[in-house]
Amino acid sequence: MNQTGTKTIYAVRPCTFVYIVLMTLTVITWLVGKAGLHGLEISLFVLSFALFKGLLIGDYYMGLRGIKGLWRWVIIIWLLLPGSLITWAFVSAS
Amino acid sequence: MKNLNRPELNKSSPSGPPLESTRGGPHIENSRDAIHVKHSPSESSDERTYPPGDVALWIFILAELLVFGVFFSAYAFTRASNVELFNTCQRTLDTNSALINTLALITSSYFVMRAVAAIREDKSQQCFQWLLAALLMGFVFLVVKSGEYLHHYDAGINLRTNLFYMFYLSLTFFHFMHVILGMVILTAVAIKATKGGYSAAEHTGVESGASYWHMVDIVWLVLFPLVYIMH
Repeated sequence: MNQTGTKTIYAVRPCTFVYIVLMTLTVITWLVGKAGLHGLEISLFVLSFALFKGLLIGDYYMGLRGIKGLWRWVIIIWLLLPGSLITWAFVSAS
Repeated sequence: MKNLNRPELNKSSPSGPPLESTRGGPHIENSRDAIHVKHSPSESSDERTYPPGDVALWIFILAELLVFGVFFSAYAFTRASNVELFNTCQRTLDTNSALINTLALITSSYFVMRAVAAIREDKSQQCFQWLLAALLMGFVFLVVKSGEYLHHYDAGINLRTNLFYMFYLSLTFFHFMHVILGMVILTAVAIKATKGGYSAAEHTGVESGASYWHMVDIVWLVLFPLVYIMH
């Protein structure tokens, strides 16, 4: 990172780095499905990837990172609520 | 729709380089009932308390997320009582198409985010081009998903086939409709952008459209593993 006056120049924009992470996690998720891996641990592992990706979208693409107050947490709370219920359902089914 | 945002919200990009000031220092407007203070864009971003875009649209987004959250939970708990059925039917789904669709939506979200960054730098034409690219990715999603639906239709699968397909078809089609609505919004924003309707100082419409599109993306990011992968 290099600062010139008021502009900050990045070797790779943070949003582009986030994009690469999102694509990578998606391909890993797909590979898990292709390999036929299953079971509670695998399901929760894949779900955690999805929730993390949602968090990245909320923070970096929606611009919620750096916002103070309730709005900072809306996407995180949304991810955690269904995420917890889905986890509960999968645990109870195993 | 009335813009409930604070003026200082448009001052910086959520990611990428900070933007230069587009307005002057604090500006005081004196109306009959109140004095409104417009803050300088140079104010610290730590003071932002509202998300980018129109707050009214964000309330709509939250309502949409709530509905999808209930849908996802209902799917998961119904599956808990029908594990074998759900696992068997899940294996008939095309994960390759789901991968293409997920990559398309993530890419479109990236393009939309770049469109917002462009308009914050007063680059209307670039904003338009990024939005066009995002719409193209949205179109890819619709084509691939339609192909999947056609395949299921040919196989005689419908909402009444069994519980899994009822959930699968209704969940994905509900999301499909949101993609279409998101594309309509982005198209309207792109048309206005190409006519120079947005600037670095006023681009709430672009941010609102972008926020809606990102919501559609986030929902799919949970839907993809839940319906196609987790068993």
